Amino acid sequence: MIRHFYLVGFLVLLAVVGCREEPVTGPEVPDGGTITGPDAPTPYALEVPDYLPAPITDPENPLSEEGVELGRHLFYDASIFSTDGNMSCASCHKQELAFTDGLGRALGVRGEPGPRSAMSLVNLAFNPNGFNWDGRSPKLWEQAIHPVEDMLELDNDWEEVIRKLREHADYPARFRAAFGIDHTDEITRELTVKALAQFERTIISADSKFDRVFYQNTEFFTEQEQLGADSLFFVENVPPATLHPGCGHCHNAPTFGDNKFHNNGIEDASSLDDIIDKGYGDVTGSRFDNGKFRTPTLRNIALTAPYMHDGRFKTLEEVIDHYASGGHNLENEDPNITGFTLTEREKAALLAFLHTLTDESLLTDPRYAAPE
Amino acid sequence: MKNLLLLLLLLLPLTGCLDDDDGMETLQDAELTIAFRAEYGGEPLHIQSEAYGYPTGDSLKLLLFQYYLSDLALNDGSGRRQYLLSDIDLIRWNSATDDPTQERTYTVSVPVGTYQGLTFGLGVKPTLNATDPSNFPADYVLNENEFWGPTTRYVFAKIEANAQLEEDGRYDTGLSYHMGSDSLYRGVQLDRSFTITDGSSPHLTIVVDVRNALSSNGQTLDITDPTKQAVHGGNQQVASGVWHRLSRSFRLEVN
Repeated sequence: MIRHFYLVGFLVLLAVVGCREEPVTGPEVPDGGTITGPDAPTPYALEVPDYLPAPITDPENPLSEEGVELGRHLFYDASIFSTDGNMSCASCHKQELAFTDGLGRALGVRGEPGPRSAMSLVNLAFNPNGFNWDGRSPKLWEQAIHPVEDMLELDNDWEEVIRKLREHADYPARFRAAFGIDHTDEITRELTVKALAQFERTIISADSKFDRVFYQNTEFFTEQEQLGADSLFFVENVPPATLHPGCGHCHNAPTFGDNKFHNNGIEDASSLDDIIDKGYGDVTGSRFDNGKFRTPTLRNIALTAPYMHDGRFKTLEEVIDHYASGGHNLENEDPNITGFTLTEREKAALLAFLHTLTDESLLTDPRYAAPE
Repeated sequence: MKNLLLLLLLLLPLTGCLDDDDGMETLQDAELTIAFRAEYGGEPLHIQSEAYGYPTGDSLKLLLFQYYLSDLALNDGSGRRQYLLSDIDLIRWNSATDDPTQERTYTVSVPVGTYQGLTFGLGVKPTLNATDPSNFPADYVLNENEFWGPTTRYVFAKIEANAQLEEDGRYDTGLSYHMGSDSLYRGVQLDRSFTITDGSSPHLTIVVDVRNALSSNGQTLDITDPTKQAVHGGNQQVASGVWHRLSRSFRLEVN
């Protein structure tokens, strides 16, 4: 009988201990097992055409062949980052859409839309700072931290992500090859986002028809495209009182962006304080920056609809109509948003020119595709 | 003989100057900080957050003021030698969070002694202005998309504002003056003596008043005239007027 009590008591204790342990500890991050294999990263030579600036180097995260390849695997791996194993970075940044998703506001792991659209990831190697629509991430690798935790994006926690990576059959060796680490417990959030950033920095888009006409001298614009380029996009000699500085004012070649933040006149608010998505203003803490957002590149713009930070314009025609209407005259609106008249012929020409910014080779370049 | 004596007397002070120069202690890799302050009407410039009066009776809020300066150099006391601090820089105010005074620290090797002032070229000097921006790294000061077009060159300075032309509380008239060409490039000389010694350097501040660029010396740009509200390459008559006044709006403070 006593033996039975001991036995029952032992079983109860076991059950209690079991009940206590599960909710308290959660998923454990395993301690560092030794990783074997190559540990000397090979410097990656990022080649860009000479008509683009020299890419920005990040001494804190130099490119390596192994780091870029690790980043590519991570970028496409839905099993690592999302709670349900159904989303990866590539879910919102699809190669065939110039690394956007075709949605006005990106959908998170639960199918709910976030506040903003997924930005294109091309030519980030030329961005010195201020990543994201609101510029909240000074460095590219820092940008990748937030989406993993955002409940409207991947809705995961980094501890869980790191646990998966450390226990993975393949990733520890890849981290060692990329960063020279010896133990799995050296796989960290920072190394993970740095690998992602290394891959993203290699995504160069520079082979559009515009490039072939303008820089490579291997093709010609059509008459319509030429009209769009000369009369509306790259306008240098604006007659007095015409008040249209040309799209190239903020979207200048060769990057077709300016790495700056503007209120481009899309918000019809009664005051700066009434702008709902404050964008850059939330980052600087200044109401005078409310409603300012990063100028996106126009490279591949025909593929990245819908437009603006919240996808409010479905087509490029709507975008042009907005700029022609002249904005809403808020006090921090860029003074170059002035409104202008545009004939149907000119509008068609401008659209034709914008389509020359599509880089078809980017869309199928195997270097940027999911690893096999 | 008399002439020889006269010649010797004339040469003596000159020889003395040369000796002084040659014997001067030279600071190696010394750090020299220069401040750049923007003003409007004699007061520190605050982007967007301040409404400024204008001689036409209107008011405006500045959104952007920036300028390139080339070959910033110290002029020595004799006026014969210059010590280069920077070959090119871009000074920009475009956010309400920007301090009206910005600082740049230059590492220089200069003799201790008295200096006559500073010189620089307002704009991008012709040799750099003739260079393709893509020759520079993407984060270099000459690659901030401050050029006219993909093959043309730099916008030397920008003044952008929204003006209130009616008493309706709305700053809804855009003013945008973008200027730059080899013909506009100007040398600026700021004469104000200062002394650099081992262990201490003066606090030098290059001050520029934006209002003076728009209105000074009896000339006032009429911002109510739609033909004078923007310069983008064309409209060079307005551009040259603003540019001329801007180049004369700099002064050097020594503390």
